[in-house]
This record gives sequence, C-alpha cells and structure tokens, in this order.
Amino acid sequence: MSANEPVARIARRELHPSRALASVLAASALIIAFLWAAAETVLAALGRRPLLASPRQIAHWAAAVPAGTTPAVLIAAGAALAVTGLVLILLGVLPGSRARHRLSGERAAVVVDDDVIAAALSRTAHQRARTAPEQVTATVGRRRIDLVIRPTSGVPVDEAGIREAVDAELARYGLDPPPRLFLRSRGQGAVGV
Amino acid sequence: MNSTPRALNRFLLALLGIVLFAAGALTAWAGASPAVARQWTRAGQDTLDRITGQLRAAPVPGTGSSWWTAAAFLLLLLLVGLLVAWIATQGGGRTGSLGAHEDAGRGTTTVDVSFAAQSIRDATAQNRQLRSTTVSAWKIRGAHALRISVQARKGASPADISSALEEVISGLDAVLGEQIPVLVRIAAGPRTRFAHRERVR
Repeated sequence: MSANEPVARIARRELHPSRALASVLAASALIIAFLWAAAETVLAALGRRPLLASPRQIAHWAAAVPAGTTPAVLIAAGAALAVTGLVLILLGVLPGSRARHRLSGERAAVVVDDDVIAAALSRTAHQRARTAPEQVTATVGRRRIDLVIRPTSGVPVDEAGIREAVDAELARYGLDPPPRLFLRSRGQGAVGV
Repeated sequence: MNSTPRALNRFLLALLGIVLFAAGALTAWAGASPAVARQWTRAGQDTLDRITGQLRAAPVPGTGSSWWTAAAFLLLLLLVGLLVAWIATQGGGRTGSLGAHEDAGRGTTTVDVSFAAQSIRDATAQNRQLRSTTVSAWKIRGAHALRISVQARKGASPADISSALEEVISGLDAVLGEQIPVLVRIAAGPRTRFAHRERVR
C-alpha cells in the first residue's frame, strides 16, 4: 500500500470520519458565546442595560459560584460539563470508523459500503443454497461477517458448500484486515417464502 | 476526499474537551468538598480584586471604561474571526479540472473533469451491476485526484464492479498520459437499499 501514498491517503480519509460536523457545532457554540460576551462588553461600556448580565455581574457570579449554589447542583452541572468535555476528547482521539471497507488494489482506492458487501455475500449464499433471497441475512461489521440462513422447510442446507462459496467471493475482495465469517443456519425452516 | 483539516479538527476538539472536562471536574469537586468551594471563593475574590485594579490602572480618558476592556473586546472579536476561519476550512477542494500541462511557451492544456466524466459514464453505461456513476475532480495537497462514485445494484459483487472500473481507469490513464490518484466509492444508494434483488439475470 505504501507504493502509492496519495491513493492510500485517499482511502484512509474515506474510511474514517473527518469530525467536520462536530467541529462546526463546537465552533458555532463558541462563536455565539464570544459574540454575546463582546456585546455585553460594549453595552456595559456605553452604560446601557445588559442583554442577560453585564461582564461585572458575570465575573462576580463566577467568583462566588460555590457559595451561591447548592452542592448537588454543582456536582450535577460539573458532571455534565465533564462528560461533554470527555465526549469532545474522545472525538479528537479515537479514530472512528465508517461502515465501509477498502478492497485490494494498487491503482485506485476502492472503498465499498458494508451494505454492498452484505448484499453481495447474501446473494452468493442464497444462490448456492438455492433458497429465496429473503431466507439469507448478512451483517457486515469491521472484523466479522454474520450470515444467517433460514432453510426451506424439509430441504437441508449444504453449510460447508455455502461457506466455501461465500469464502471464495470474500477472498476476491481482499479486505484488510480480513473479517471472520460466521455462518449459521437456523433450525426452524421457512414455509412458503 | 475534500480538504477538511482533519488533524486540526481533532486537535481543537480535544483541546476544547480538555478545557471543558477540567472546568466540569473542578465544579463537581467544589460541590463535593466544602474546602475546595471555600478556596474557589477566595481565589475568585482575589482575582476580582486584581482585575478591578488592572482596569482602574488604565482608564480611557473621559469615559468610565478601561483600555483593558477594549483589549478584551478586540480579543473576543479576534477569537470569533479565528473560529469562523475554522468553520470555513471544512470541506472544499473540489475543482473542475484534472490538471494542466504547459507546453514550453506554446500554451497550456487543461483537461476538464467533464471529459473524464463523460468517458467514464460511457464506459460504465452498459454495466448492469451499476445503477449510476458520478465523477468529480478534487485538489488534494496541490495535486489533482479523481473520485468515481458508483451506486451498485443490490447483490452486485463489489469485486466485479472494482475490476470493471480498474479497466475503465487504465483506459483513462492511457488517454491522459499520466496516472492521477483515483478513489472509487461503491455505495448502496437509497434506491438500492430498499430494492428487491433481481431474481432473474
């Protein structure tokens, strides 16, 4: 993958969220707060009535918060603030992931929605099992793929054959890291699907 | 694919998070421990006194306000400006061309993205696995890159789609005479998601 650095970078950026929405929300909140503070500063300097509270009032309130508030409210407000902060820290630090995978390939960065992989594997399985499409459910996660087959009542399913077919299809994608395939066929059969 | 400054986003979000977390932890601590609450009030009073002293030390002649107030106001406006700039850097980077070549004094050749788009759409129009193809050009770190976004039909194999598009891309490489970075996005569009698989092929 290092052979084509720009392509690898494009793929990487496509697989992880950009935090653009969180950034815009955080910046907007700060802008509102700062503009309000600036407006209060001007109003106080002109001797007008404050919008909510003058800078002097705010400063005196902030200096004496613990004295004028009950401890339970302080703890609750502090916890809420801390949790918000923690969420922002995690947004900044955690890689995050989108429900997508990169296919193998050097020339282009090929990034596929997990939905598409699920639909393709489900089609492979139901064609091999000779069932209706509705009898196979595929769920694709980052590291595992679950396939659940509801066999037609009275017709046994060839689990080994299906696994082989799905594995072969999966091998063509060359996903990295390769997800593990979990295949289950439900004991209860379906009638009239 | 866009030029959102991801590292900056993460850094600023984490920084803001640390500040909020520290303020929240301190507030909760003051609620839990009377000693901390007393210390807060004492430190707050000291700070208030110091600020009042500073404000009085630099009065604007003829008014009741201070130069420090004016400075604080300007600082707030500066911060707002920086925050607006932060928002403005999100996204962006889309361009209309795939790059330009200069022919030693004889002029410049620019390849429009619509040229690539048309040829790629023509090449994929007959592909029964694809519902739609969208092509756009982006500028990444000064270099041009191509984004081919396709909507797969339900049940279509991404490997088949990928190899078909690799063929299209190698054709494009030959026409352009250079290899620009390409992103292929295979998505399940809203129409695909609720569609029935084709029973007969």
